[in-house]
Amino acid sequence: MEALLQPVQALLGAAWVPVWTLVKIFAIILPLMGCVAYLTLAERKIIGWMQVRNGPNRVTFFGIKALGGLAQPIADGLKLLFKEIVLPSASSKTLFVLAPVLALAPSLAAWAVIPFSEGLVLADINAGLLYIMAITSMGVYGVIIAGWASNSKYAFLGSLRSAAQIVAYEIAMGFALVTVLMVSQSLNLSDIVRGQGEGMFANMGLGVLSWNWLPLFPMFIVYFIAGVAETNRSPFDVVEGESEIVAGHMIEYSGMAFALFFLAEYANMILIATLTSIMFLGGWLSPVGFLPDGFHWLAAKSAFCLFFFLWLRATFPRYRYDQIMRLGWKVFIPVTIVWLVFIGGWMMSPLSIWK
Amino acid sequence: MLIEYFPILLFILIGIGFGFVPMIAGKLVGPSKPDPEKLSPYECGFEAFEDTRMKFDVRYYLVAILFILFDLEIAFLFPWAIVLEEIGMFGFVAMMIFLGILVVGFIYEWKKGALDWE
Amino acid sequence: MDFQTAVFYFLSTILVVASLRVITARNPVHAALYLVLSFFTAGGVWMLLRAEFLAIALVLVYVGAVMVLFLFVVMMLDINIERLREGFWANLVPGLIVAGLMLAEMFAVLGAKYFSAGAAPAPEAPAMDYSNTKELGRLIYTEYVYPFELASVILLVAIIAAIALTMRKRKDTKFQEPAKQIAVRREDRVRLVSMPAEKE
Repeated sequence: MEALLQPVQALLGAAWVPVWTLVKIFAIILPLMGCVAYLTLAERKIIGWMQVRNGPNRVTFFGIKALGGLAQPIADGLKLLFKEIVLPSASSKTLFVLAPVLALAPSLAAWAVIPFSEGLVLADINAGLLYIMAITSMGVYGVIIAGWASNSKYAFLGSLRSAAQIVAYEIAMGFALVTVLMVSQSLNLSDIVRGQGEGMFANMGLGVLSWNWLPLFPMFIVYFIAGVAETNRSPFDVVEGESEIVAGHMIEYSGMAFALFFLAEYANMILIATLTSIMFLGGWLSPVGFLPDGFHWLAAKSAFCLFFFLWLRATFPRYRYDQIMRLGWKVFIPVTIVWLVFIGGWMMSPLSIWK
Repeated sequence: MLIEYFPILLFILIGIGFGFVPMIAGKLVGPSKPDPEKLSPYECGFEAFEDTRMKFDVRYYLVAILFILFDLEIAFLFPWAIVLEEIGMFGFVAMMIFLGILVVGFIYEWKKGALDWE
Repeated sequence: MDFQTAVFYFLSTILVVASLRVITARNPVHAALYLVLSFFTAGGVWMLLRAEFLAIALVLVYVGAVMVLFLFVVMMLDINIERLREGFWANLVPGLIVAGLMLAEMFAVLGAKYFSAGAAPAPEAPAMDYSNTKELGRLIYTEYVYPFELASVILLVAIIAAIALTMRKRKDTKFQEPAKQIAVRREDRVRLVSMPAEKE
């Protein structure tokens, strides 16, 4: 590989670094887009099976029966591409066009610091987790601006609900992350994963018990549920509650503009699932000593978390708005504060397992 | 240190670009046949009779203000969390006092009903 | 001009233009969004100064939280532009006085011989594993613990003030206690009554 790249490097000279970085960025974004497309299919299939029906099974590649349904995301994408992008007359045009872009950009940019395997990370910055917090907190602008620029009551109500909801769960999420930082003593995501590979159980060959999910179990649950709420997924999807406000902030969007919101939502789901795997489920580490570590573990763990997203959607009815706010403010925040103090006390005591 | 941030700068720019490309493609490929009915704001069968940008429940402002305060608190917790083992008991007690004072505020807003929704 | 300087000029240009648009934009929502852009690029400039934690905290707190509130406010108050214009001339004189005072203060601080940026020597380039956040953590909670605790008191005052100023109990809403709703048992709601059959 190195020998192959050498001549290219010599050819490009000073332009090598940006070009090579661009290649790496696309090596992250394009597979991610593929995952998003097939996550939509997986969602429809899995929910279909849970409800004892087939899900999409007609669109296939080259007419091969066994592949029934597999081409569905591509067909959906093409259909959306050939639909008209309606610009409502009452809207603020510039912001209306900008909103889906602002929704998508943070959900992509956050991937810059995700470590996929030992040493396999685009930007190995010290403040990785802080960067993730900051960049994901910008996702709310896409929703707010979409709601306001559409100049439609449903969109406006939807964006307000969404903003208040995201804001409430972001605090619980932040507190949960602080406990992860306390036990790993680093903001760097690779270090957080490495820290989980040490300890008594890891030495015994049972890495799965030394990951953060066990000592930080309440935080793990809070973080994951807050993640579901942050991405406005069912059962927290009052933002697009179709029986009340039709589709919330997305109501005036059509064609590719709508597709961008969809992409952002699913890219965020995958991001939350990956972050949960990295911070609580040991990232790329193998659960048992005799199997090698590697990217496949991170992928498997993320897929496991994503399955939960879909399972929740198939199982639970939608929460009422006051219940959502109560869960965020009155249950999650006290739980996280109590556990934070508990972990701090544990670390100060001689019984600390993180020394 | 700064060299590590270069891919991030590039990634943010690409992320923004990645949003615009499908929009432009959709605009170029898709049809464009506007008519006044299609372009009017969505309503459930009525003509829109009031401006959308109406006054809103003050509760949303309160939530936003409380969010800022808690977000600041979390910003203070981040540097503390990663040096906790170095600063030891002294730093731990300092943060517990900080958290204690803020928990008083949290209990106050709870008792005042600022967290109740209906 | 090396790459870092080029990035600095790129970010600064955006910052200056965005800040100018904040005060010249007619629509308050547009102005607030330009302010978001200014904060974001200011974060980038701070990053160039190697203030890693402060740069990201600026984005996290100001862009992620404070500006959300600003947007809420400007989106939902229907501001009458005409009425705002009315008081322009009456407010001009006090406005100019305040602006002049602020300008003088900035000169006093930034322009003074001992405070100007040139007075302090440029810091040494830090080691590769240097973590800005850790350095801050080592100082805030030990050496500056007193101001740190004061910050919590200020935050407490802010919480109480926010509630005192904006809390309104509405009487027309129906409040439900979710905990009570969940705790409801069959016996609370259903009563079986045995009635003898009645004849007409």
